[in-house]
Amino acid sequence: VNDLRALDALLAKRVSMRALAVLRIAAGLLALQHLRPFLDDARRGFVYRDAFSHPYASWYPELPRSLYVALLWVGALAAVAMLLGVATRVATATTFAVVAYNVFLSTTHVHNNRAYLVIVLGVLALAPCGRELSVDQLVRRRAGHELPADAPGWPLWLLRFEAATVYGASGLSKLVDPDWFGGTVAHGRIVEHRADMLQHHVPHWIVSLLTNRAFDSFGAKVVIATELFLALGLWSRRTRYVAVWLAVCFHVAIQVTSSVEVFSYLAIATLVIWAVPSTHDRVLVLDPAVPGHRRLRTVVGAFDVLGRFRIEPRPASPVVVVDRDGSEREGRAAVVFVASRLPVTAWFALPALLAPSNRGCVPRLVEQQLDVAR
Amino acid sequence: VQNKPVTRVRTIARRVVFLGVIALQLLLVARGYRSDHKEFAFQMFPEASSWQADVVRVLPNGDRLPVEQPWDGYSWAGLVRDRGLQDPAVRHHADAGVDNQLAFLREALDYVATHTPADTQTRYYEARVTYWHNDDAPRTVVYRSRPRPEAGT
Repeated sequence: VNDLRALDALLAKRVSMRALAVLRIAAGLLALQHLRPFLDDARRGFVYRDAFSHPYASWYPELPRSLYVALLWVGALAAVAMLLGVATRVATATTFAVVAYNVFLSTTHVHNNRAYLVIVLGVLALAPCGRELSVDQLVRRRAGHELPADAPGWPLWLLRFEAATVYGASGLSKLVDPDWFGGTVAHGRIVEHRADMLQHHVPHWIVSLLTNRAFDSFGAKVVIATELFLALGLWSRRTRYVAVWLAVCFHVAIQVTSSVEVFSYLAIATLVIWAVPSTHDRVLVLDPAVPGHRRLRTVVGAFDVLGRFRIEPRPASPVVVVDRDGSEREGRAAVVFVASRLPVTAWFALPALLAPSNRGCVPRLVEQQLDVAR
Repeated sequence: VQNKPVTRVRTIARRVVFLGVIALQLLLVARGYRSDHKEFAFQMFPEASSWQADVVRVLPNGDRLPVEQPWDGYSWAGLVRDRGLQDPAVRHHADAGVDNQLAFLREALDYVATHTPADTQTRYYEARVTYWHNDDAPRTVVYRSRPRPEAGT
């Protein structure tokens, strides 16, 4: 009973839906990208059942051709409305319904990347993710009845579970497969592309290294370790930034080497859900009279889509960031820290945080509190 | 704007959906180890396997005609355009593993057998498949579509 109460409390805990609002925009774009080939085919007069398709169940409803094509267009329009945040709840649910219906029409439609898209859209349809970064929000604000930006966190926890499961399931399936663990699969796949690499003028020594059996065996273990680390490391705040940084590298590598439709973009976009679900709880102090500070303010205003910072003007002050725990960074260290918390610059700035000069946290408030306590 | 009061029903519904989705996801991951089609199991890049198939139409007199030759207004590539099945005679990588690829090929044979009404000659379709599971020695299997009762009438 206590466990259930604890679970209910966790599911009901109100958190910021900002990350899901950001993901909603990305997922809307990716849903459009996903639907595009189906719409292109439809424009040429072709739909799935004009060629090999295999329904999951005989009872699954199949629409007349014209209705099916109309449904695809409804899905595309809903995706546009979803990313703009117009009638967000309805638009997101409609996008999810159309994409899911279309994917489940035939076994030939189901791919891992599409399954992940269905999951993300499904969770977004459950969450009030239109209260920020949306036309709905602007309209409500003007009408004077803005909705609270926070909501019960359970859709966010559910999506975190699903995102971690994608990495965990993939890593586990490789771990228990002797051919994968031993490097046979990696070696086979790379050897398959040897001619392509040479044709694209990849240096011989690189091709030779990549097709080396021992190298591929080592590489396979690195891939498995990476996937399993991502599945677990994203959960802990101690390892989360490393995991996010690695995940971006991992997905860029997949995108460059494989054809995975929207998967890489979706997986990178979904990383925003691992941001702490609270907003404007870090303070960025800037001097409005300093041009460099004003530029930083513009950058933060444009790219702080997760709402990490509250900007406070303070004349004659250096750039100062006060973190959630009260610790402070000044000058260059503060700028690097800010960049490490903005989604578009985080990947570049996170390694810079390892430099001792950028790690210089000055827990002034903590020290002051300790002084008072003394 | 006030938040909605949380009712007992809402609390239980939230719990059921949350735990239900987690249980279903774990079930689908486990199912992926046994199923040909591994929906929602997220087994990415599972194999380095490849396959090749000689697909023929078998006529009532026993003639076996390759499907690369169009027949009665049909073409294999026009009927089967997805999942790497459009040119089976060429050796292909099995994207989602050999079991998955062979399951799609079997389903494609049945699809073609049941979606070519103008063809009154073909008794059934047959695929002689050679596959290489990772770096194992090649294996050969033969699949037949369901019989076509309209053939030879």
